[in-house]
Amino acid sequence: MRFIKNIQNSIKHNSSRNVLCINNTYFTYKDFEIEVKKIRYAIVNTIETSEKLIGLVTNDDIQTYASIIALWLEGKAYVPVNPDTPLDRNYYIFELTKTKYVIDSTKESIYKDYKVINSSTLQDLYQDLNPKDFSGDNLAYILFTSGTTGVPKGVPITFNNVEALVDAIDAEPEFNLNNEDRCLQMFELTFDFSIVTYLFPLLAGSCMYTIPKGTMKYFYIFKLIKEKKLTVLTMVPSIINYLRPYFPEINEPSVRYCSFGGGALHSDIAKEWSDCLPNCKIFNYYGPTEFTVYSGFYPYQKETHTKAYNGIIAIGTPQKHTLYLIVNENNEEVPIGETGELCLGGPQITPGYWENEERNKQSFFIRNENGKKIRYYKTGDLCIKDKDNDFLYVGRADFQVKIRGYRVELSEIEFHAKTKSEKKINMVALDIYNELGNAELGLAIESDTFDTSDIFEYMKTKMPSYMIPMHVRFIKEFPHSINGKIDRKELKKHFDIN
Amino acid sequence: MSRKDILTKVNKVFSSVLEHNNFELTNTTTADDVDGWESITHMMIITEIEKAFSIKFKLMDLMNMNSVGDLLNTIESELLIN
Repeated sequence: MRFIKNIQNSIKHNSSRNVLCINNTYFTYKDFEIEVKKIRYAIVNTIETSEKLIGLVTNDDIQTYASIIALWLEGKAYVPVNPDTPLDRNYYIFELTKTKYVIDSTKESIYKDYKVINSSTLQDLYQDLNPKDFSGDNLAYILFTSGTTGVPKGVPITFNNVEALVDAIDAEPEFNLNNEDRCLQMFELTFDFSIVTYLFPLLAGSCMYTIPKGTMKYFYIFKLIKEKKLTVLTMVPSIINYLRPYFPEINEPSVRYCSFGGGALHSDIAKEWSDCLPNCKIFNYYGPTEFTVYSGFYPYQKETHTKAYNGIIAIGTPQKHTLYLIVNENNEEVPIGETGELCLGGPQITPGYWENEERNKQSFFIRNENGKKIRYYKTGDLCIKDKDNDFLYVGRADFQVKIRGYRVELSEIEFHAKTKSEKKINMVALDIYNELGNAELGLAIESDTFDTSDIFEYMKTKMPSYMIPMHVRFIKEFPHSINGKIDRKELKKHFDIN
Repeated sequence: MSRKDILTKVNKVFSSVLEHNNFELTNTTTADDVDGWESITHMMIITEIEKAFSIKFKLMDLMNMNSVGDLLNTIESELLIN
């Protein structure tokens, strides 16, 4: 794998430079190399060669990042679980992937049913960082996203997928990190956006700045930009929605790149944010987890590149080797200017959802193009291709919403809420927009008022915190549309949260 | 406005945003001590406090605010400016 060889070279060449800044403590690439070697030694000496999917508890420390690289050198995949996510869900994920080994830097690991490698107490070093020879079809990671029936959906990504992502970004002349860059790494490692915020800095020899637990994320990010003079930002649009009231106080000339992804970027706020970063190029990236983070971008520029549809910045064009196709219900291409579902083809496409044949039949299809069979992933995003071959984002085709960049299936919330409810009543999860334009979750219950604390306690054991509704309303009778469906638009009017 | 009065008002905002009052706010209280006080609810709390006291925080103050004591100090100094 070329990209893994390149990580090895970068670690060697940048040994005296900083790789990570965690809670004001700096670590060098040399420190990182030592951690990688220790963890690799433990992997080689404890884990059977046949075991490929290794659990990783995603703490905010150097060992956790080093574990990813140590696993990759051995051709193994990491299955990340967040320590703040309910244990039930994390155990469930390991069951689905039949994981036996877990790498955990926590002092006292709670993963008692598994063979735990405690990565913070290791002594012996593996002799080198030479990557093992292995097939590019091996998995590099599996991430789990919200599923419709209460079962999280696993998205496996191969080393070939990651290699194709790195190739595509390398081919992009507008975006080049170097070993002087200071990069924001604000994402939890269970979130696919994190791949680009640790992988690209590692390849370039740049330094990553993380967000410590317990800090107030939005203000801490600003503090990092200001005090550490960050040069590269990668974030979800909700960050700037929250910072927007303070834009007049922000002027940060150090920032040269700001990449957005994981949600719709609105043109009015993009313009205002651009004013805060006078020397910055803004990239509006698009890409689902199923297509290895990024599939393409639109280069926003407040004077010259402002293409938008209904106030949402365009997602631009596909990157190298990626194909975009907009289709109707029969998976047939629609003409330019017409709305349809965006489908993605190319080397970054996942081999398919983890052990979920039914879902795979719905989400992937093969299309013959010039005698070649191209496999496409149906994103569920509605888009339009315009006359300049730019792609415009229109909205979602289903009940999936983005909460702070995380994909959430509203039906998963409803499923868990109803499971615990003794009364068999209607409950509908809704995305409600606050005055800053961020989605918050609401739960509408068709009933007289009653105590929901049991339901909420239960939901907190089944879903990560971003999936727990923040607003509850009791409505005696749900409004229905003419065709008899629950009228979600009308229901949302009951949530006056601003 | 006395610090005690400020604290009473701040208490009200906390319990209305967090939808519970299982907490005691003192100068040394941080987000770790209060159930549900995290990044998102913090933003809501800040907005509600700005409304309740008719003040506007500065980003510089917000980025160095680590405890309820810091919060009360900032409110006090904002009220003085007004």
